[in-house]
Amino acid sequence: MAPTAPTPPAPPAAPAAVKILIAGGFGVGKTTLVGSVSEVAPLRTEELLTRASVGVDDLSGVDSKNTTTVALDFGRITVNADLVVYLFGTPGQERFWFMWNDLVNGALGGIVIADTRRLDTSFASIDFFESRGIPFVVAINCFHAHNTRTPDEIRAALDLDPQVPMLLGDVRERSFGRDLLLALVDHLMDLSAVRAAPVG
Amino acid sequence: MSDEDEDDSSGSMVRPYTITRGRTAPERDNLTLITVLTTVEEEARVALARGSRSGPRNLQPEHRMILNQCRRPAAVAEVAAGLDLPVSVTKILLDDLISQGLLLARAPLSVARASGGVDLGLLTAVREGLRRL
Repeated sequence: MAPTAPTPPAPPAAPAAVKILIAGGFGVGKTTLVGSVSEVAPLRTEELLTRASVGVDDLSGVDSKNTTTVALDFGRITVNADLVVYLFGTPGQERFWFMWNDLVNGALGGIVIADTRRLDTSFASIDFFESRGIPFVVAINCFHAHNTRTPDEIRAALDLDPQVPMLLGDVRERSFGRDLLLALVDHLMDLSAVRAAPVG
Repeated sequence: MSDEDEDDSSGSMVRPYTITRGRTAPERDNLTLITVLTTVEEEARVALARGSRSGPRNLQPEHRMILNQCRRPAAVAEVAAGLDLPVSVTKILLDDLISQGLLLARAPLSVARASGGVDLGLLTAVREGLRRL
């Protein structure tokens, strides 16, 4: 390289990014939670899905095009000048999850939102995180305010590991969203501490 | 806000890969949804000034929009949302600009769990940021 070459001007420093996933059944409030803590209104992005990659039985209601799209909503929290947290709502229909490898890769952890009236709709999300070894916390959305089950009953119904944090609240509230994210970070710190502990 | 997610229909009237001249995958597939992109101002100014001359390095309108958007660092997902294009199409366009030296890409922070959990310094920083919410 020629010694006289001018030094290129330093580019503006880009922040690094990490990602947290928001999962749960259809209509359980994923986008609402993203919106409650995001510094921007939730954005929507789409991925193409080719017909070949979808089971034929699943195409009811999809028109005759060869490609269709699956959407996901996301938001962002700027932690500091060098760090941004992106929050991604996972597609609610489990049949689309196979294509979201990119979504899982590099995820710090997840939040599973459950609705006490239909807890079964969150089973798939819990399985999803457990099977991929992604730490998560569970949010019991009490938005409808007629939850008659105790936290212990809910925990038993969801078959949650005892160390998985579970919080009850209203996902429309920013403070609840913040508490969920903090609970997840604390959970990750606990897991790191356990793994860092010397053996024997 | 409408609750929520599922919207299987594409509003676009253009076949999705027209914009990429038929290419369906980027040359290098190392972009993720949260890879952060920043426009290289000096180089981008020159490229944008080349105008509409034809040639392999010619910028399409979508390329120009990306260079403008990424003057403020933006993630792949944000660029896709800004262009209203699918992520896979957006990645091809971004790859064009990266290979021409017009965009810088910063990979996401590693959160590899195999090597003893997430970095505590990173978690502490995230925690501090969240407490201000």
